[in-house]
Amino acid sequence: MISLKINGVDTTVDAQEDTPLLWVIREHLKLTGTKFGCGMGQCGACTVHVDGHPTYSCLTPVATVNGKSITTIEGLSEKSDHPLQKAWVDLEVAQCGYCQSGQIMRAAGLLANNPKPTRTDIVNHMSSNLCRCGTYPAIMAAIEQASAEIADEK
Amino acid sequence: MKNRANDIATSGISRREFLHSTASISFVVGTGGAIAACSSGAGPEAESTVADKTVTPNIWVTIGANNQIVIKYAGTEMGQGSMTHVPLILAEHMDADWADVSVETVAVNDKSYGNPIFQNNLYTAGSTHVMVYFDKLAHAGTQARKWLMSAVAEHWQVPMTELSTKPQVVAHAASGKEISFGDIVASIELPTEIPEVDKSEFKAKSDYRYLGKSIMRRDVPAKSNGSQLYGMDVQVPGMAFAAIHRCPVEGDGPAIVDDVAARAVPGIIDIVTLPYGVAIVGETVEATKVAKSKLQVTWTEKSPFRKKNLDTSLREYQSAAHDLDLAGVAWGRPSGDAKAHLSSADRVVEATYSSDPAYHAQMEPLNATASVSDDGKSAEIWVGTQTQSLTIMGAAEALETEEANITLHPLSMGGGFGRRSVLRQQYVDDALFTSRALKRPIKVIWSREDDLLAGQFRGPAVQYLRGAFGADGKLTAVHHRVATPYNLPTMNKHRWEASKPKDVISMLGSENSTYDIAHHLAEHIPTDRPCRVIAYRGVATSYTKFAIESFVDELAHDRGINPLEMRLQLCHKNPRMTKVLERVAELADWGRKMPADRALGLAISGYSRSLSAGIAEIAVDSSNGRISVLRYFGVGDAGFIVSPKNAQAQLLGNIIFGLSSGLHERVTIKDGIVQQSNFHDYRIMRMNEVPDIQAEVLTNDAPPTGVGELGMAMVAPSIANALFTITGKRVRHMPLAPDVVLRALNT
Ligand code: FES
Ligand code: FES
Repeated sequence: MISLKINGVDTTVDAQEDTPLLWVIREHLKLTGTKFGCGMGQCGACTVHVDGHPTYSCLTPVATVNGKSITTIEGLSEKSDHPLQKAWVDLEVAQCGYCQSGQIMRAAGLLANNPKPTRTDIVNHMSSNLCRCGTYPAIMAAIEQASAEIADEK
Repeated sequence: MKNRANDIATSGISRREFLHSTASISFVVGTGGAIAACSSGAGPEAESTVADKTVTPNIWVTIGANNQIVIKYAGTEMGQGSMTHVPLILAEHMDADWADVSVETVAVNDKSYGNPIFQNNLYTAGSTHVMVYFDKLAHAGTQARKWLMSAVAEHWQVPMTELSTKPQVVAHAASGKEISFGDIVASIELPTEIPEVDKSEFKAKSDYRYLGKSIMRRDVPAKSNGSQLYGMDVQVPGMAFAAIHRCPVEGDGPAIVDDVAARAVPGIIDIVTLPYGVAIVGETVEATKVAKSKLQVTWTEKSPFRKKNLDTSLREYQSAAHDLDLAGVAWGRPSGDAKAHLSSADRVVEATYSSDPAYHAQMEPLNATASVSDDGKSAEIWVGTQTQSLTIMGAAEALETEEANITLHPLSMGGGFGRRSVLRQQYVDDALFTSRALKRPIKVIWSREDDLLAGQFRGPAVQYLRGAFGADGKLTAVHHRVATPYNLPTMNKHRWEASKPKDVISMLGSENSTYDIAHHLAEHIPTDRPCRVIAYRGVATSYTKFAIESFVDELAHDRGINPLEMRLQLCHKNPRMTKVLERVAELADWGRKMPADRALGLAISGYSRSLSAGIAEIAVDSSNGRISVLRYFGVGDAGFIVSPKNAQAQLLGNIIFGLSSGLHERVTIKDGIVQQSNFHDYRIMRMNEVPDIQAEVLTNDAPPTGVGELGMAMVAPSIANALFTITGKRVRHMPLAPDVVLRALNT
C-alpha cells in the first residue's frame, strides 16, 4: 500500500512500487485528466505537480512520491478558474486538447515561481511540452494573459 | 453535450442495463416529404408528460417542450472545431438560441447522415464538413423554423408573413404576442406535413447572429480542466487492460510464443496469440507493460516486407518516375497535350523531388475498448474515430457479423490527421479479438513505440516534373509524374473499388487547379509500398505541392522572373488566388531588401477548394545545414468563414504542422521495420522552434470550404525556395533536415 495526498485528499493505493505515478493516477484513481503521450519524458502530457513542482508522472515510480503532495489538473482550482484556465478558455487554446492538461500544469508551475515571465522565460519553460495541433502561439498568449491577471489581482 | 461514455464512466450501471438503455434511440423519417415524429425523450417505460414531449421535423433536429433543442452532428471532433461550427449552421437558420442547444454525435452507420464525398459514410476527413453540410443543415434549420411558424400562424390566425423569429421565439409584431419554441411544442398542434423550403428562404448573411462571429467551440472548457473524455479515458465496468506485442514486420506473426515469465507477472490474466502479434491481458496497465517486456516471441519470416528498405524504394521510384515509357494513371483533368508539347519544345526544364514517409504523431497513442458478447457475434466499442461508418463496418467484418450487432461510442480524439480514418482499424481489431478471447471488456492501450512500429504513414514519393515555355515566354506545358504507392486499397477496399485506378490519397494536389497552363498532365506511377500507407494531414498535397511549388520557383529563376510575378501571371484567371498572393506579399513586404544571409521564399497551396499562400523568412547555417525559420506569413481563403477565430487557429496550427513536417519529420524503413520509436527520434516541433507567425484568413461571400488542412502544404516549398535565394542550391528532398540540406549545399 502506498500513501499519497492527491489534490488535497489522503489516499492509499494498492500498486507495485515501481508503477509509474501516471497509471496510478489515471487507472487506479480514475483521474483521467492527466494524459499518457510518450511514457519517456518527451511530451509532457503527463505533467502533474509533486510538492508544487511540475513533474513527468510517466517517469515517476509511485513509491518515490509516498507521502508527498500531488496536484493534477482536476485539483488545480476549485471551479476550473485558475487564471491560466480562464485564459485558456477565453483564448480557446485547445484544439484536440489532449496535451492541454499537461501544458496548463507546466505553465502553472512557471507562474507560481515567476508570476511575470518574459517571452523567453515562457519559451524555455514550456518547450518540454509537445502540442501536435500547433497551439503554441495560443499557449504563449494565454500564459501572458494569465500573468497579467495575476499581476492585476496583487 | 451528451456523452454516453461519460454516463457509463460515472454511473456504474451494469453492462446489460447500459446496452438496454442505448437501444431505444430511434427516429422516424418519412420518404419524400418527411413526416413529423413525436417521441418521448426517456425510455419506453417512462411516463411521458408534456414537458418530455419532443418533435422532430427532420433527421437533424429535435425540439423539446422544455425549450431544449438537440442537433445531430454527423462528424467526430479531433480539434478542428466542426462539432461546434457545423451544428451551429442549423441553429442559425432555425433561429435557435445556441445556449439551449445540445449537440449529439450520430453513432450509427446511417447513410442519411453521411458525407457524400465519402460514399455517404459518416466520415470526418479532407476538411469537408462545413463545405458538405452547410446547405443540408441550413435547409434543415430553415425547415424547422418554417414548420414552427406555420403552426403559430394557424393557431393565432395571422398570416405567416406577419410573423418573425428571434432566438427561440416566434413573434407577432402587430399584436405584440410571442411564444417560445418550447411552448409551441407543448401547447400547439404542429402540422403533420413538414413544409418544403428552398435556398431562397435561407436566412440572409446580414441577419446572422452566430455564423461569421467566432462562437466559442463547445469542447474548449472541458479541454481546459481535464474533464474531456478521450478514448484513452474510457472506464467500462469489469474491464481488463491489454498491451499488444505486434510483429514488427507487416505480414508476419508469432511462430513460437514463450510466455512463462510473462504469465508469472502479478496481475496478468492471460496471454492471447493473435494472427499478427500477442495480446497481454492484465488487471492493471502496468502489469501488461511489465509482462510485455518479459514475453519472448519468435516471429515467422515469410513476409515480403522483410526485404523492404526506404532507400531502395526511393531509388526504384525514381527510375519509374523517369521512365517515360512507363504509362501512368492520369489524374485530375489533363489539359491540352503536355507530352507532345514537351517533346517538340526547344528547351525543357526538368527536376526530380523526393520525400520520406511521415508519421501522424497524434498526441493520443491509439487505443480502443471493446466488449464482445459471449457468442463472439456482437460488440460494443469505445474509440476515437474519424468515421463512425467505417469503424462499424470494419468491426462487423472482423467479427464476421452484421453491422447491426455493433454498438459504437465515438469519443473525442487526441488528434486524428487521417490516422483514424480506415476500414480495419488495427487497435479496434486488437480490442475486439482480445475481448472475444477473454469474454470480458478490454481496453487496449498502445505505447508510443507501438504507435510508430505499427504506423500507417504518408507514403514516400518521387516526383519528376518537366516544363516548357512558349515563344511568348509563358509557361505552356507541365508534365508531372508522381511515383508513389496506392493508399486506398489498404485504407478501405470499398472506396478503392469505387475509385480505382485513381487514388486521391496518393495524388491530390498534382492536378492543375490554380495555374493557367495550356498543356498539363499529372500521372500516378503506382509503386510498391515499403511500409503501411494511409492518408495524412493534407494527404498527397504535402508532397505534390512541395514538388510543384519548388518547380514553379525553379522555372521563375530560369526565366529571371520574380517568383511572385511568375505566380501572379499564372493565376491571372483566378482573382481569389491573386488576392491571397497580393495580401501575403504585402504582409511579408515581399521584395524588401534583405541581408545576404536571409531570404524570403514563397509558395501557394490549395486544399478542399480553399486557397493559401505562405512566405518563409529564413536563415541557414551552412556549416551544419540547419535552417532557422525566423518569421512566417500565411494567408488563406476558404470562402465565407463560419468562425474567424477557429479558422485563424487552424491556419496557424497548419503552418506549425507544416514547419515541423517540412523541416524534421521522417520515418525510415529497414528490412521492413520502422526505425523510429518515440519523440526523441521522430521529432515534432517544440515551442522554442516556432517562429513569429502572421496568419490571416480572408472572408468573402463564396461558399464556405475547409480550414482543417489550410496552408499545411505550402510551408516546405516556401522554405526550400528561400534557401535557394540564399545559397543558390536547390534542396529537392523533404524533409529539409540538416543532413539533407548539407548534402545539397555540398554538391
Ligand atoms: S507521457 Fe510523460 S512525458 Fe510524455
Ligand atoms: S491541442 Fe492537440 S496536441 Fe495540443
